[in-house]
Formats: sequence, structure tokens, C-alpha cells
Amino acid sequence: MVALPFLKTDNARSYPRKARRVFDHTVRIADPVMRERHADQMAAIAERRCRNAFSELFSYYAPRVKAFMLRLGAGDAEAEELAQEVMIAVWQKAGMYDRQQASVSTWIFRIARNRRIDAQRRQRRPELNADDPVLQPPEIQTPDETVSREQLDAAVRQRLASLPQDQLILVQAAFYDGLSHSEIARAFNLPLGTVKSRIRLAFMRLKGELEGGI
Amino acid sequence: MTAAPQNSFSELYSAYAAGCIDPAFAMMLEAQSLIRADVRGSVAVSEMIAGNFLEAAPAARMSAGALERTLALIDALEVPVEIQRAAGKSAGDAINELLSLPEPVRSAALDAAGQQGWQMLGLGLKRLKLDVGSYMDVELYRIAAGSRIPRHSHGGNEFTMVLAGGFTDERGTYGPGDVSMNGPNDTHQPVADEDEVCYALAVRDGGLRFTGVMGMVQKLLGVR
Repeated sequence: MVALPFLKTDNARSYPRKARRVFDHTVRIADPVMRERHADQMAAIAERRCRNAFSELFSYYAPRVKAFMLRLGAGDAEAEELAQEVMIAVWQKAGMYDRQQASVSTWIFRIARNRRIDAQRRQRRPELNADDPVLQPPEIQTPDETVSREQLDAAVRQRLASLPQDQLILVQAAFYDGLSHSEIARAFNLPLGTVKSRIRLAFMRLKGELEGGI
Repeated sequence: MTAAPQNSFSELYSAYAAGCIDPAFAMMLEAQSLIRADVRGSVAVSEMIAGNFLEAAPAARMSAGALERTLALIDALEVPVEIQRAAGKSAGDAINELLSLPEPVRSAALDAAGQQGWQMLGLGLKRLKLDVGSYMDVELYRIAAGSRIPRHSHGGNEFTMVLAGGFTDERGTYGPGDVSMNGPNDTHQPVADEDEVCYALAVRDGGLRFTGVMGMVQKLLGVR
């Protein structure tokens, strides 16, 4: 049924994959202005426990986290509950957020992703652990990593914006919806080889390995 | 064994970023990303891509009063709870070694050491079973410096990644971030480096098979 049966958790397989059915073939790119604004709001939550900042962040992200959960096949009530739990985790863990390590959206995405995995697994430890490694980006910086995470994030956004639409939409299906290459091939009615080569090319571009090329 | 096609390289990264990878491989990839800068970069870019799509996504409609209910829950939860890590006496002298392991193995190992503890498997060799929510067996091995592990085979397919120190077997020498793969018919006799304790993370399918993805996992993790 899926290309990578042994990579997916059993629960992921039993989860209804509505993504394939409701797939809207449009793709959007984040507005770079929002990045700093959201990071400032996180700082206000962390430093002053500012409820206004939280409310603003909630207004922006709760509906989008809910959309992410819906997209992955959760029911409306479940998606809303998960979105609420993710936002509570954002409030609780705000002190661990480091704007130099990740954009707010990437940080919240990690929480949302792991929360969803936990929900599917019905783990004994449903609460997000404060020491959850996903909230603690690697601190090791080796000399060859001359580009900071902030610079890399800005570059990835820029490269996403210049990616051809036919690649971008497949990248979204793979990295956001979590579809395997063969699922994507079926959803977009494309030969598997085409899917693989487009995503590979796109990923190389996004990593900056083809700078100036093509 | 299936050889991975050259271009399937990104598939495990996207599965990881989107949360569609088995937790055992997720853990192995996360630990490897702390050891290897190229893997770290690929994981980071994958998550940035996913974060971008979350940020740009059209908003779903929240029910009326969702924010107020969330704020009320926050008030109720506003009692700071420090999560204590009961590392346990069973960790013994190895506790400092566990503390220096790369995440997320470090946390899982501290949890496991506090709960069920280490199993002694022989002179210089002990094992800690980690609970990562996978159907596969995930184990941390500690091999004392210079220890020679008796020749053994493996019940199923097993990926072993060195986290600290190193070992040598008939096929080669493995250091931090290197992954060795053993099938059901392979036997080997690893010897830990003389000067350092070796820690290795093993993911074993315990009867189920990796077939099909084997080649891809191998390629991604750089198995030798």
C-alpha cells in the first residue's frame, strides 16, 4: 500500500490518509516579514509571560496547526484539540525557543509533528517532555558550519520562493504531508522516476548545492 | 538485498521531517545528525521546509472561544513542574558517560537506566533496552575499552551505529556516526578500541524484516 511500510509507524498506517483525497494542488510560500514578528512574540512570552503576545501567536498558528492536523486526516474536534495542546506547549516551552536556531514556524512544526505522532501512538507519556530533544536543537557547531541557522533559514525561504512550481508542489507533498515518493506518484499521476528526480533536484537546490545552476 | 536507487536519498529526510518514519530510525537519524554535520544540515533544511509550509498554510477555522479556553488551561497548568530524571543507581559509573551521549539517545538512556537498568552480557559488555515507541528493538551497548566480544550472529537484521569510541571487526573499523549492518547470516567478532569505552546504538527488526527499505536506510545512514 505504501512504499515504505517499515519506515512508517503502524499507527501512521492506520491513520486515515485524507491528504491524498483533499489534496489541493496549490502551494504557498511564507512571508519573510512574519518571521521576526513571531520571534518577538515568543520572546515576550518567554521573558514576560505576555498573554497578548501569546494571543497573537495563537491567532496565527492555532488555525494553521489545526489545518496541518486536518490535512493529515484528523477529525475536526481532534485537530482542534491537538492544535490547542500544541499552543499550550508553546506557552510552556517558550523559554527554550532560540531565534538563532529556528524560525518560530519550524519550532512549532516540530512540536505539532511530535504531538501528532504521540497522539497516534497513544503513548503513556502524552505530555510533551520539557527535555524533548526536538526542542533542543544541536549545539555542536563544527568549523565547517560557517552558515548560521538563521542565515540558512533565510536562504531556504528564498530558494523555496524561486523553486519551479512543479518541484515545489512535490516538495510540499513529501516534506509537509509526509507522503512517500510512490504515494506522490499516484496522487499527482506522475511516473515514479519523475517524482524522485524532481524531489531530489529540489532538495539539492534547497540545500544550496546547486547554487547558480539551472 | 535491494540496492537503493541513486535518487531516493531525500525520501528518508522528508519522512523524518513530516513525522512518518519509525521512531527507531528517527532516533538513529537524530543521533547521527549530532555527529555528522552533513546529516545535521540536511535534517535542518528538511524541517525548515516543513516549517515554511506550516507558516504559509491557509488557516483552518477554530471553534468560538478556542483562545479563551486555551488561556484558561494555561492558568490551570501554571504550576511549574520540574521533570526529574531518575537516572538510578543502576547506571553506576556509567552515568557520566550517558550524560555525554548525543540526544535523543541520552534522554532515552537515562530513562531506561533509571527504570529497568543495564543487563550484563559478559565481561566488558552490557546492554540497555531503550523504549522509543518502535516495534523494533532498540538497544544501547556499552563495550569496555579493549574488550573483545565473542563471535555472534544476529536474530534478524540489525543496524548498529557507533555513538562514542569505536570498534573493529572483520569488515572494518567503525567510529562515531558510522553504521554497520548485519543480516541473519552474518557473524562477527567486534573488538572495542583500546583507549576508549565504546557506546553503540542498535536497531533490530526482531523477526520482522527491513526488506525493501533496507537499501535506502543503508544508503542514507552511510552503512558500510
